[in-house]
Amino acid sequence: MPRIDAHGHVFTRVSPEFPRETGGNTPPDREETVEKLMAYMASSEIDQAMLVQMGGATPAHHAYVLHCLGTYPDRFLGIGLIPEDVLPSPQEHMDRLTDGTGIVGFRLGLVGGPRDPFEKADVRTFRTYPVWKHAAEKDLVLWLYVRAADAHLIAYLVDAFPQVRVVLNHMGICPGEGKGTHDRWGRPQIDTPSYNPAFHTTIRLCKYENVTAKLSGHYAFSKKPYPYQDLDGWNRALLTSFGADRIMWATDFPWIYEEPGYDKLAKLVEESMPDLKPHEYEAIMGGTAKRFLRFPDLK
Amino acid sequence: MDSGPTPAEWKQWEEEGYLVFEDAIRGEMLDRLQKAFDHWSAACKEEWLDRIARGEAAATFYDIPNTLEKDDVFIDILDQPRYFQYVKAFTGDDVIVIGEQVRTAPLWPTSYTGWHPDVPHSHPLHIKVQVYVNDVEPGGGEFAFVPGSHRPDAGPYHRVKNLAAMPGHKRFAGKAGTAVMFNTYGWHVAMENHTRTPRKSIILIYEKRTPDRIAEGRFASIAKSLDTPERQRIFGLA
Repeated sequence: MPRIDAHGHVFTRVSPEFPRETGGNTPPDREETVEKLMAYMASSEIDQAMLVQMGGATPAHHAYVLHCLGTYPDRFLGIGLIPEDVLPSPQEHMDRLTDGTGIVGFRLGLVGGPRDPFEKADVRTFRTYPVWKHAAEKDLVLWLYVRAADAHLIAYLVDAFPQVRVVLNHMGICPGEGKGTHDRWGRPQIDTPSYNPAFHTTIRLCKYENVTAKLSGHYAFSKKPYPYQDLDGWNRALLTSFGADRIMWATDFPWIYEEPGYDKLAKLVEESMPDLKPHEYEAIMGGTAKRFLRFPDLK
Repeated sequence: MDSGPTPAEWKQWEEEGYLVFEDAIRGEMLDRLQKAFDHWSAACKEEWLDRIARGEAAATFYDIPNTLEKDDVFIDILDQPRYFQYVKAFTGDDVIVIGEQVRTAPLWPTSYTGWHPDVPHSHPLHIKVQVYVNDVEPGGGEFAFVPGSHRPDAGPYHRVKNLAAMPGHKRFAGKAGTAVMFNTYGWHVAMENHTRTPRKSIILIYEKRTPDRIAEGRFASIAKSLDTPERQRIFGLA
């Protein structure tokens, strides 16, 4: 069974060939290349990975990820982004980026339905409805890391589109407004309550067979250093709710290269879930990603 | 009628882990309860919506905060004789109030919770009484329980993803004012709501008294309303 890192980012220096937006931890001259990632992967015996676009949502911004997918087609798949102004009619954008490129789906940061949970929820009025509809028509994956206000709205779309494969990012936790800061490595730190509301929203999506969750992003939510023992209960809740066949391990590279290190993250599952049966460990470390995301066979 | 469990009810409590009290709250008391529930639900809703956005509260159930301080009816409901006599009996007349959840569960495609027990058997006896504030039809998010699952030798039970697939479970639809008492070592859940009516209920939480279980000052803000020695005792003020 291949070992698959189900979530991370690569980017290169800003150039005409590979334009991207810049930010606090992605200045113009920083690069975290796919070759650097592959070196880390090799040292931890990781075979494949999902490259998640960052640094802009236009087709041009995807140039480097597309380059990586084209260069190493049996090692990587990709997740793209959709500009907010394209949400009402995203079909052309989605088709263009997924046309034999290795991009298999799109990441969403919002759902876009009513704020009040007592209001009638008509999914056809949700801002991202056209994305879900097109994903259903084109068998695309949706990669969700949505704001807390939208966490409960996911269920309506999952219910409406049982054929869409859904991956809840970063343990299903949805960041709250005003809860984000950055640590000294420039990485996001999300203040989350110990009794997380996601226990009653995203974790309840375990009922739907088309929903999986990623075991990743611990550094952003934990108040303790690796192996983030304050999140052990959350890891267990994911396991008992979804089962290993619907959980995928990921590192969220490159943000973890320096702290705690890729090699340590590659051991997080065995450190924090020592009672896993061998078949559960294999599923979380790659089997689920291989099956659910349809990673290609290695050559 | 309000004098506590009959031998048959004792037997059911010990063997099955639950009892149902129809019309436990009725008449003027039910009217007071419903009015206070609706008033404070509306008054506190905006704060709840803000907490959802900040990632501090779930959108799938809505608990009115600090209800004991808001209206005495939320205190009065804790020692209604119809069921409180039973709580006292089952705890050897040594009960404390842990709190209450004045809760509305909005309509949602699935339930806000899965099958679970609340506490392990190492925990002191922990009893909940779920009082329906509106009529809860079958398929309306009703409480469900696995009879006998509270016993130490029961199970094992699994967190089945399809709530209706839990072996041996029993569902409790009921009219407004119905109360379901259960031993929280047992496996329970709120079923899915396929009606058009959000479920309104109050979950009363009691426990067999243990030293220092109630933090000093926990109920100090409602001391004036605890106007009998028994109330002061169950709230840990005496």
